[in-house]
Amino acid sequence: MKSVVTVIKEQWNSIYLIGRLSLYEVKAANNNNYLGMLWEVINPLIQISIYWFVFGFGIRQQEPVGSIPYLPWMLSGIILWFFINPAILEATKSIYKKIKMISKMSFPLSVIPSYVIVGKFYAHLVLAGIIFIALQFLGYPVSVYIIQIPYFIFATFVLLMAVALITSTLATIVRDVQMIVQAVMRMMLYLTPFLWSPDLLPEWIQRSMMANPFYYLVEGYRASLLGTSWYFIENLQYSFYFWSLTLFLLLVGSILHIKFRNHFVDYL
Amino acid sequence: MEKSVELMNVTKNFKMYEKTSDKLLDILLPGGYGEDFYALQNINLTAYEGDVIGVVGVNGAGKSTLSNIISGIIPPTSGSISINGQASLIAIASGLNNQLTGRENIELKCLMLGFSKKEIQNLEPEIIEFAEVGKFIDQPVKKYSSGMKSRLGFAISVTINPDILVIDEALSVGDQTFADKCLDKMNEFKEKGKTIFFISHSMKQVKNFCDKALWLEFGEVKQYGPIDEVLPEYKKFLKDYKAMSKKEKKEFKERVMEKQRGDYLQVN
Repeated sequence: MKSVVTVIKEQWNSIYLIGRLSLYEVKAANNNNYLGMLWEVINPLIQISIYWFVFGFGIRQQEPVGSIPYLPWMLSGIILWFFINPAILEATKSIYKKIKMISKMSFPLSVIPSYVIVGKFYAHLVLAGIIFIALQFLGYPVSVYIIQIPYFIFATFVLLMAVALITSTLATIVRDVQMIVQAVMRMMLYLTPFLWSPDLLPEWIQRSMMANPFYYLVEGYRASLLGTSWYFIENLQYSFYFWSLTLFLLLVGSILHIKFRNHFVDYL
Repeated sequence: MEKSVELMNVTKNFKMYEKTSDKLLDILLPGGYGEDFYALQNINLTAYEGDVIGVVGVNGAGKSTLSNIISGIIPPTSGSISINGQASLIAIASGLNNQLTGRENIELKCLMLGFSKKEIQNLEPEIIEFAEVGKFIDQPVKKYSSGMKSRLGFAISVTINPDILVIDEALSVGDQTFADKCLDKMNEFKEKGKTIFFISHSMKQVKNFCDKALWLEFGEVKQYGPIDEVLPEYKKFLKDYKAMSKKEKKEFKERVMEKQRGDYLQVN
């Protein structure tokens, strides 16, 4: 528990640092391209259009998901994917890639994964804005349910941080973890209802898919953006499950991080 | 005079693995696994404010490891180290981000060192002036020549006004004028009563600049004292070493390897 407090304190004390470093992170990643940071948005948009073509137009023949047409259904969920996927992949690499830049022991190392995550958040905000506007024209105008969105963004952040603390520590010690994380994330695209809905599958399979915490987040995003329900209240039990799991992961991540961080340099 | 750096029984040991899987065994097995390599053994060292200490020794004697430990970049395996004030390392590979401009690197580096927004604004012009990179300050660092990079790195490290300065071979790049400028700056530090560790293979620079010398051999302190006592001895050793036949040199190196394997430590 003490480790969690230390990690959270470090985040809180370094908010300005996280803000500045995350901006540089985005800048350094896109300096070589003429369109610069625009690529952070263009890339997902290209992928979204191909997903729509394959899944919505090709496989589903434009059949709606429940009562919701496929395109808005997919858009409202997939934006989360374009945040969690790069955030987790980059955050996993973050410590071993950046520790050389840090020339002071007193630097709060737990800030490294968080500023990488925040760096990915900017693109997410822009993309979410674009999709939000698109939804207005697709017959899903803004509703009161949208006020859930800050809650789900916050929940996403905490979960990402918890996962990143674990994976970044393990990947620094054993580089292969990076490969495992990549493989798992590729599976996550299909095991979470981003592109298809498991509605028609047997009940028990749906249940087990819900064990994946991203399932909760994507359904929450969808409920807020499409205005279908008060997701976190109507599924109180599920919310409880999500937070227990997230806090457990945060605990594990903090303990691992604190235990190994003095020796990260030795593992390079 | 106040103590500024104190090392007590500092030992740094690296593990040598034959295969990558050995590393995994080392982490998992309670007793550890793999061959030990002692880069530093039982170092006891006290430096006072105003000391300028030249660190000499042949390649592989542990000079760079020592400088990394003093500046807090790597933790010692055992032993304790107490530093009174802020230490700053100046090395050739100064950890600049190649994608970002010089100006951005200045801010990034200062942020990493824990400076506030305002302090950075004050420091920036001074750093730019000292670095003498002219218009290149707004160009990405990847376009810099190696001299420019090391000047920028040096400028950042000296302008942040550290209490302890560790200079690791940094003066060997750059032309004579810049080296003189750096020496001036360091003399200024000397007058202010800061502690400087000066690592160099150039006997001339050490002799001109330092008043104490630390001679490292096989990761141990061979001699530590006033420059007039240590340097002649070291020079004599160098001469003898050069005069050794190939076979003798080989034997000498084997002795070094034996010692650094740590058998000697256990006997003691």
